[in-house]
Amino acid sequence: MITLIVIALALAAIGLFYMAVRSRRQRPHQVVRPVDLKAFRTLVDREDELFLKQRLPRASFARLKRQRVTVTMRYVGRIANNASLVMGFGESARLSSDPEIAQTASQIVEVASQLRLQCLVALGKLSLEFALPSLQLTPAVLAPEYQQLRENVVRLGKLQPQTAAPLPVAI
Amino acid sequence: MDLTLSLRVLSVAGIICQATLAFVLLWKKVWKSFPLFSWYFGTGSLATIMMYAFQHSRAAYFYLYWTVEALGIGLGFAVVYEIFSNLFGNHNALHRLASVIFRCVLGLLLCIGIVVLIRHSPFGFRAVTSAVVIVEESARIIEIGMLMCLFLLSSAFGLHWRQQVFGIALGLGIFVAVELIRVTIWGQAGKEAHDALNVIRILSFDTSLLIWIGYLAAPERAAKEVELPQRSQLEQWNQAVMELINQ
Repeated sequence: MITLIVIALALAAIGLFYMAVRSRRQRPHQVVRPVDLKAFRTLVDREDELFLKQRLPRASFARLKRQRVTVTMRYVGRIANNASLVMGFGESARLSSDPEIAQTASQIVEVASQLRLQCLVALGKLSLEFALPSLQLTPAVLAPEYQQLRENVVRLGKLQPQTAAPLPVAI
Repeated sequence: MDLTLSLRVLSVAGIICQATLAFVLLWKKVWKSFPLFSWYFGTGSLATIMMYAFQHSRAAYFYLYWTVEALGIGLGFAVVYEIFSNLFGNHNALHRLASVIFRCVLGLLLCIGIVVLIRHSPFGFRAVTSAVVIVEESARIIEIGMLMCLFLLSSAFGLHWRQQVFGIALGLGIFVAVELIRVTIWGQAGKEAHDALNVIRILSFDTSLLIWIGYLAAPERAAKEVELPQRSQLEQWNQAVMELINQ
């Protein structure tokens, strides 16, 4: 029995390494994924949720809440994906021979990684809300990290106008 | 092909690969950024030469083999630590959480290793050999578990592996995974299957050497090659994040 479990573990590891290689090959083709803002705004509206909770029967509300949470998780997943792309951009810019660009890129990577972490926390809370639809957990606090990221990306854009032009304008 | 011939061919190929990797380590100055990996590789190469020299002395070869195995496992753990430091060193926010998760996983793997060590039925070999094989199996479980944890954490945090770090982790992971299968089967199989398992071991080590050579020799992707997202997409992302912040 132990032998089988150990062999299964080793095979799972080989499968994981294969997936890592595949995902690494696909990474250069990744782009920022668009977000439907109107739908997102409706999804995160707590007052709207409260209204539905008061009006709908418990079972219907639970079903609806789970659907909302599923879609919200997809949006947060997209934001996390985009934060990861910014991290990748920062990692590359960190290799720059200009120390100021490298330093700013390091700060961007740091803030983007914090944002990514906040997204993970948000996903965790949303998972809990999915399991217990009556819960209303406080969403992750992303404001300071995002503000810092914005300032750093703008600074990098000024230092590296030819490479990073669209990024500071958009962010 | 005859197993003995296969063993010889693969061993010669391995020596050529080791020489090539040594050249790459010196040429690319990898030993500066990855000292523990360089020690791991250097010790392994030295062991190969010594084992070749002692191959006719049965007792000396036996003790040398198991000493090298123990050293290889110990240095393997050091390489895993080096990969972890390289991967998370630049991400202070993630480093703390990753360290906690990594320590928890290490504790869990240690427990699993101890359970395997205690519950494993003895093999039909000498007591010393049996004990050493079971200890190696437990150690390999911990090593592969830590490497899996690293890959899973990097995926969860959306980290971008640098080419050299990824190559080192991948090569080590494949070797350790195959080695775990080999050690596990080695204890159960008869002596006649041991030659075939030795061929698999050398084949996996040669594969890892080729992976290390490939990833360490190839140039790191330059910053200018990074594809920037479209402006309109970033604007949308910006607004979406602000929505999330202001809710």
